[in-house]
Amino acid sequence: MGSESEGEFHRPSPEDIESWMQKAFDMAREALEKGEVPVGCLMVNSNQVLGKGSNEVNETKNATRHAEMVALDQVLEWCQREGRDYREVLPHTVLYVTVEPCIMCAGALRLLHVPLVVYGCKNERFGGCGSVLDIPGDELSGTGTAFESVPGFRAEEAVEMLKTFYRQDNPNAPKPKVRKD
Amino acid sequence: MACSDVCEQNTCSPAMEPQCKRRRDADTDHVSWDVLPVLSSEQCQDTQLLDAYAAPITNKRETSRLVRELTTVYPMPGLQHIKRVRACKDPGSPHPLEILVCLVRDLPDAGDERKVSISQLLSSAKVDMSGLGDPFFVKIPACPPLTRPQFELASKHWPTSFHEDKQLTVALQGQLFTHGQKAKMQEFMETAIAAAKAGLQEGMEPIGAVIVDPQTERIIAVGHDCRHGGHPLHHAVMVCIDLVAHAHGGGAHQYKYAGCWFSEPSPAPSLKKSNLLNLEVKGDFNELGSKILPYICTGYDLYVTQEPCVMCAMALVHSRIGRVFYGTASADGALGSKYKIHTQKGLNHHFEVFKGVLKQQCEDLRNMPF
Repeated sequence: MGSESEGEFHRPSPEDIESWMQKAFDMAREALEKGEVPVGCLMVNSNQVLGKGSNEVNETKNATRHAEMVALDQVLEWCQREGRDYREVLPHTVLYVTVEPCIMCAGALRLLHVPLVVYGCKNERFGGCGSVLDIPGDELSGTGTAFESVPGFRAEEAVEMLKTFYRQDNPNAPKPKVRKD
Repeated sequence: MACSDVCEQNTCSPAMEPQCKRRRDADTDHVSWDVLPVLSSEQCQDTQLLDAYAAPITNKRETSRLVRELTTVYPMPGLQHIKRVRACKDPGSPHPLEILVCLVRDLPDAGDERKVSISQLLSSAKVDMSGLGDPFFVKIPACPPLTRPQFELASKHWPTSFHEDKQLTVALQGQLFTHGQKAKMQEFMETAIAAAKAGLQEGMEPIGAVIVDPQTERIIAVGHDCRHGGHPLHHAVMVCIDLVAHAHGGGAHQYKYAGCWFSEPSPAPSLKKSNLLNLEVKGDFNELGSKILPYICTGYDLYVTQEPCVMCAMALVHSRIGRVFYGTASADGALGSKYKIHTQKGLNHHFEVFKGVLKQQCEDLRNMPF
């Protein structure tokens, strides 16, 4: 990375985006096969993966441990290990994720100045990058920086994996309320 | 035209002087504070109005026929809250009743909208015009009122039905909570303020949070902002949520500060003893544990010195928090200021939010020297 940590953010090429999203989908597929939430999530800085995440809500009993939050933690740990300032690294780090980040994660990405998020399917229930709210684009001068989000990458495939997973029962979740819509 | 008596019952109730805030806590604190609900946008918005035409009923005996015929010709869909007929405001008027004829938008060609004749309004319609006087222009409320202040404003334009949420009315007057409840709130917020000050000593933002089980009035977790301690996302609310996870035998991070701590929660009193016995007989202790402890923060209350940001607010949705009490609003706050995440349509969990607990003390925190 070196020179890229300062100055403007260089957008990855379409080929790079394609190949990192392929990796994110591979992760999601592996998670599904292990009976875990099929979300793949990578944080990449100049062709280097600095963080990978999967959902850790059940093992931590903490409902905020979404894949993106876990991946962000890994980037912060990487910065500490490498003696780098996260305030310089994260503004050049792209998030690739198979499902639209939720409102909380979108807020976290803003707070840490992540410039670009590429995602697969929409998250109609919690989505914070256009579905329920538009956190990256809204006027929030005290909440980090606005970012670009690119939706719709192999969306149908991502939805299909989620549907397969949610047909199974999550014993730790509260009984869902019947939705009237 | 549902229940025309609702309107009469609810107007001019002397108990409903708007915004009469009583100071009931003078002996618990020198600075008085009010705890007020943070409502949804729909509950706060000004009365939206629609243009309409009404006409006096010159022959009272024609009223029910006119209502029937006009409702057939101009049904006004989506305006079930509007009463078709109202009593004339002026007691000296020769005609006691007035009836809504139609909305301006119902007419194909509005023309000069303030001056129309009854035959213009009913030209193409099969309504016997006898008993109707000259039409006049009115504005009527477009949406059913959700709160008493909205109802009172709406009723100034045209009588409107109102299904009152009595608790909400009391809450809006700042009188939902008893003296004893407010004393307890003050105690919890003082703990949050103390945590905020402890955080400030550690070089953090002066923000503190406390999560409480209101059933037992026990504090489960206390946390302060830790964002300058190596993890920029460790806002007070995120820390507090993770400390609750620790209290439940989980947790994702360790906090080295004395101002961040948790205690073991006691079993939920709502759980029936017979269920416990049943599980014990089966010897399924894992299942027992997961039944006793609530799912994440279900039923817990959060006290936080300032309104949470969008990340923290959504974290509270995911954690199924019961209620949130904050001291003072924030510019980018997501529980009232910038967003109202707790009432956001489409989300699977909603909760009540109140603001103003120890407001001045919470505001003072922001100006404390670093």
